[in-house]
Amino acid sequence: MTTGALPRRSMRDRVSDRRVFLAVLVVALGALMSLLSPYFLEVGNLLAMTQYGAVIGLLALGVSLVILGGRGGIDLSVGSALSLSGIFMGLLAQNLGLSPWLAALVTVAFGALLGSVNGFMVARLGLPPLIVTLSTLFLYGALAQVLTHGGQLGGFGREGFAALGQTAILGVPAQVLLVLAPAFAVAIWAQNRTALGRRLHQIGTSDRAAALAGIDVNKLRFRLYCVSGALAALGAVVTNAWLLTARPSAGLGMELQAITIAVLGGIHIFGGRGHLSGVLLALADVVVLSWGLQLAQVGNSVQTGVLGLVLVGAALLNNLIGRRAPG
Amino acid sequence: MTTTTVPSAFAPSARMLVLLRNALLPLLLVAEVIFFTVAAPGFLSAANLANVVINSADLALLAAGVTLVVLLAGIDVSVGPMLGVVAWVGATLFVAGLPPLLVVVISVLLGGALGAINGGLVVGGRISPIITTLGTAAIFKTVLFILWDSTDVFAGPVVPALGPARAGGIPLVGLVVLAMFGVLAYVLRHRVFGRRLFAIGNDAEGARLLGVPVARTSFAAYVLVGALVGVAALIYVGRVGVVQATAGNELTLPAIAAVVVGGTSILGGEGGVLRTLGGLAFIALLQNGVVLMGVPPLWNGVLVGAAVALAVAFDVLTRRTLDKRIGAKR
Repeated sequence: MTTGALPRRSMRDRVSDRRVFLAVLVVALGALMSLLSPYFLEVGNLLAMTQYGAVIGLLALGVSLVILGGRGGIDLSVGSALSLSGIFMGLLAQNLGLSPWLAALVTVAFGALLGSVNGFMVARLGLPPLIVTLSTLFLYGALAQVLTHGGQLGGFGREGFAALGQTAILGVPAQVLLVLAPAFAVAIWAQNRTALGRRLHQIGTSDRAAALAGIDVNKLRFRLYCVSGALAALGAVVTNAWLLTARPSAGLGMELQAITIAVLGGIHIFGGRGHLSGVLLALADVVVLSWGLQLAQVGNSVQTGVLGLVLVGAALLNNLIGRRAPG
Repeated sequence: MTTTTVPSAFAPSARMLVLLRNALLPLLLVAEVIFFTVAAPGFLSAANLANVVINSADLALLAAGVTLVVLLAGIDVSVGPMLGVVAWVGATLFVAGLPPLLVVVISVLLGGALGAINGGLVVGGRISPIITTLGTAAIFKTVLFILWDSTDVFAGPVVPALGPARAGGIPLVGLVVLAMFGVLAYVLRHRVFGRRLFAIGNDAEGARLLGVPVARTSFAAYVLVGALVGVAALIYVGRVGVVQATAGNELTLPAIAAVVVGGTSILGGEGGVLRTLGGLAFIALLQNGVVLMGVPPLWNGVLVGAAVALAVAFDVLTRRTLDKRIGAKR
């Protein structure tokens, strides 16, 4: 499909694009943080910052896809799916002695399976995504605890697996270069340039119109939840390679970060509208903010509240912009 | 009603479905009690049942609050952390020597104010309830963490009726909870405010066209949730005796679970607090019985999560079948 026929966007449209705002925000936050802490712009610090961002970036991507798919789509279970997948991988690597690389592959498939439970209940049975994923949030989180009796697992430090989480290539952490960047690149390309991306927006905008246009709405929506689960498992693989231990609480509260990033990135909560490239910029914003607060000795517990404020603020912002736009 | 075009074979099965829907929870409760009476020694003793009541009284009020917003087709996932904030303030004021009744009033008002934040964002800011309460839940957690400031607050029951006190073996707090459920059930069924909640939950636009003040009613519902959380917070203090950094966080899911398992439709417009009371009894007895059977408490989350998923599946599937039958009549 060609975009040549579309009218060129005016300067005003470009400036009021959410992504411009987010990009300016990254720079502004970065400047502010480097004023607050002299260590902020050091190379080692920037590395650690993106290492942390890789994991929640994957979760945010999954949540964004699910929300874009419409019909009240949301995935609250991503954090718990990450915890459970991490434990699953630990069981494979430590208890069964599997190669960490092989375990990682199986774990991603396992994550897709966890997502398919959500997808089945939402897309096939037509249950409300909010409650379905809220129940799997607790179900998966509790299963992760039960499987380890609250303890932690290891067995990841073999066969050079740690390289995935602890090394840098040309100054970019391996998990960003090899996992996060490709994932977002493929997703952004698919959203903007493929028929799949168009179908995603169609089902997100109107179930009925999409079905009349010949799209298997339920199948596509089912797959979105599977992708979200697989991305959460990929996040678990990266976490395990980075920390070399799998804890049952690894993903605790990450759903808040993931949803905050998706909403801040301009993904409209009722589906069908938003850019994944905006999500990538929002990820940069949140990572800079969190890391800056970390450096300023602001603890995790306070950061949670800051994220909550960002989430509510971003949702208000979306509404203000949405009200001005036609439709 | 014109039923001329309906094949008569359809009507009884729809009635059966409604019957099954209404009878399911009582049947499950009976089955549960029989199961645990056999499987867990001491389950059916008066002392144990009184303990169950005392241990789930605060949860019951949270669940009652959540019921109100679920009837509106909304949700509130901030009730747990909200309880934590109010519990800290209430316990601190009580320890500081304020008169108990004043502490009760302040707690209810504070809860109402926190609920008003949710209501304002949902109604005024037009943010979806899940995003709003997910955000405020995070904010309340942080507020409690800052207030807590590495110091646990130890406090007894503010008034005896909000603690583990019993009169003739009957826990007083159970009577308080029952009375509040009674009032709420009456309001929902017989007062204008209650009927408006159902109308909005069924069809907000239709309700607006009929002259229901949708914004005001929805806002009031979130404030009411907060006020109920305010009372629950003092019961929490009376039950646990200490307010820590994460107080109340663990109560959010069971509260929503009680609503859903009780049969209030998550899609709004159908249900009530008495159903929630049934759902709460089911979950509270489940958690208690499982512990008495010697299953590690880590399994609680698995059981409650599974119960919610099954209850929602059953609710939506029967509701859809019923809608289809009704659709056939038109």
